[in-house]
Amino acid sequence: MKPAKIPPNMESEQAVQPLTPLWGKRSALRLPFIVMADIIRSRNLLKLLVKRDLSARYRRAYLGYAWAVLEPLLLAIVYTFIFTILVGSSDPLYPVKIIIGIIGWSLFARSLTSSTKSLSSSINLFQFARVPKTVFATSGVLTNAVLSIISLTCLIPFFFISDLPITLNLLFLPFWLLVLSFTGWSIGLLLAPISCKVPDVLNLINFLIRAGFFLSPVMWTYDMFDRRFGDGWHAIVAHLNPTVVPITGMRDAILGTSSAIPNYGYMMCFGIAILGYIFGSIVFERNAHHAVVNV
Amino acid sequence: MTVVMKLENITLEYPIARRYRKEKVQPSGVRNISLQVKQSEVVGIIGRNGSGKSTLLKMMAGVFPPDSGTISTRGSVSLLAGVGIGFNKELTGRENAYLYGALMGRTKNQIDVLIDEIQEFAELEHHFDRPMRTYSSGMKARLGISVATSFKPDLLLIDEVLGVGDASFRKKSEDRVKEMITASGSVVMVSHSMGLLAKICTTIIVLNNGEIEYQGEPIKAIEYYNNLFS
Repeated sequence: MKPAKIPPNMESEQAVQPLTPLWGKRSALRLPFIVMADIIRSRNLLKLLVKRDLSARYRRAYLGYAWAVLEPLLLAIVYTFIFTILVGSSDPLYPVKIIIGIIGWSLFARSLTSSTKSLSSSINLFQFARVPKTVFATSGVLTNAVLSIISLTCLIPFFFISDLPITLNLLFLPFWLLVLSFTGWSIGLLLAPISCKVPDVLNLINFLIRAGFFLSPVMWTYDMFDRRFGDGWHAIVAHLNPTVVPITGMRDAILGTSSAIPNYGYMMCFGIAILGYIFGSIVFERNAHHAVVNV
Repeated sequence: MTVVMKLENITLEYPIARRYRKEKVQPSGVRNISLQVKQSEVVGIIGRNGSGKSTLLKMMAGVFPPDSGTISTRGSVSLLAGVGIGFNKELTGRENAYLYGALMGRTKNQIDVLIDEIQEFAELEHHFDRPMRTYSSGMKARLGISVATSFKPDLLLIDEVLGVGDASFRKKSEDRVKEMITASGSVVMVSHSMGLLAKICTTIIVLNNGEIEYQGEPIKAIEYYNNLFS
């Protein structure tokens, strides 16, 4: 026989926990902070996901992680060849500049794509339990950041061959890598929900990334651009591209040079990253959960 | 008894492609579902294919929100959504178990304690350290049930995974579910094997076209369900 009328909170220890609604209302202004807190709380899971992605990527290849180093190196050889023949450039550091450009650009491009695709590619993983969906976009971006750092090791020989200076400027390198992946991640968060409903967004992104390769300082440098266009309106438009300043910053950090980036250039670069994150996190948290129905 | 999960007037309609919209077909999904799952209860859900069983489970797990209505829970919820779903084919059984644990919010140390138990219950022996793509479907189901029940969520949702595998494993997983109930967990399960449902459920819900048609004792519910077709 059960004893009658026990107050509900005396029945068991778990009863102390109240019934909480799964989809409570949250104010938009708090969402950027909620997303950050979610990610910090899930760092355990993030570590595991990044480890898994890294080991899965080259698991079946004989050369393994060497591919992360070989890819930018081989591309740089091709571009250097074309550029020295077609344009007649005689800059001995040109190969180094191209390698840095390729690594920086592909970090941004891959971060943007993996974060945009994250909802459809990880649909299986967030069915198990309630996990913040931003974690999957983040893990893809972190994986690419690690790969970029591995890729950068292909520059080590050049420090001896081309006698590059080893200065404190090198410390800016991780900062610019962070800016590139953060911006790609934020814009990806903004686009992820709509890409579930309208898959054409992914085609558009693919096109933009191909076009962006030429519109970003991968094969050209900031100095070339500056010499040609100077301070005109071209320059302002060019700074709308969020990769221009970080890639130039990476080159300056490694080569020990300093490019004449105007202050508004820095402001636009950081502004796009921060605004991208604020809007990205709000749009994602507001729409992503329901957008998953379409996947 | 304490309510673990409460659904109030849940409605969700899947979007229909524009080219079908003219035909005035009823969109699939679930409509006006109200339901309470109490502590130590096993709720079975039966219904035809496409009647909204899996959709309901996904909403209970918090994968996506309903169009209208509210879902409230107390404690942790975990969904085992079909054989092998959610597990990575390239990873080994062990690695997948760790990933599942991390998704459930457990730390590495907490999983370390459970991993031997998971391996033992799944009876996979050396296959436990082989990639999942080499598993048979029975082995995938074993791993899934073993992992999902070992982490002991307050509410476990099982979608057609129980009742697969050979007879001895079916018996084992039945016992496992009963064990969970006595340890004050709750289970909601979708299955087409009526024998199993009749044995372990405390209530059964009959879903038809996204709506609850009948809710009550297992035997009566199964009878009602069988009459739907005759």
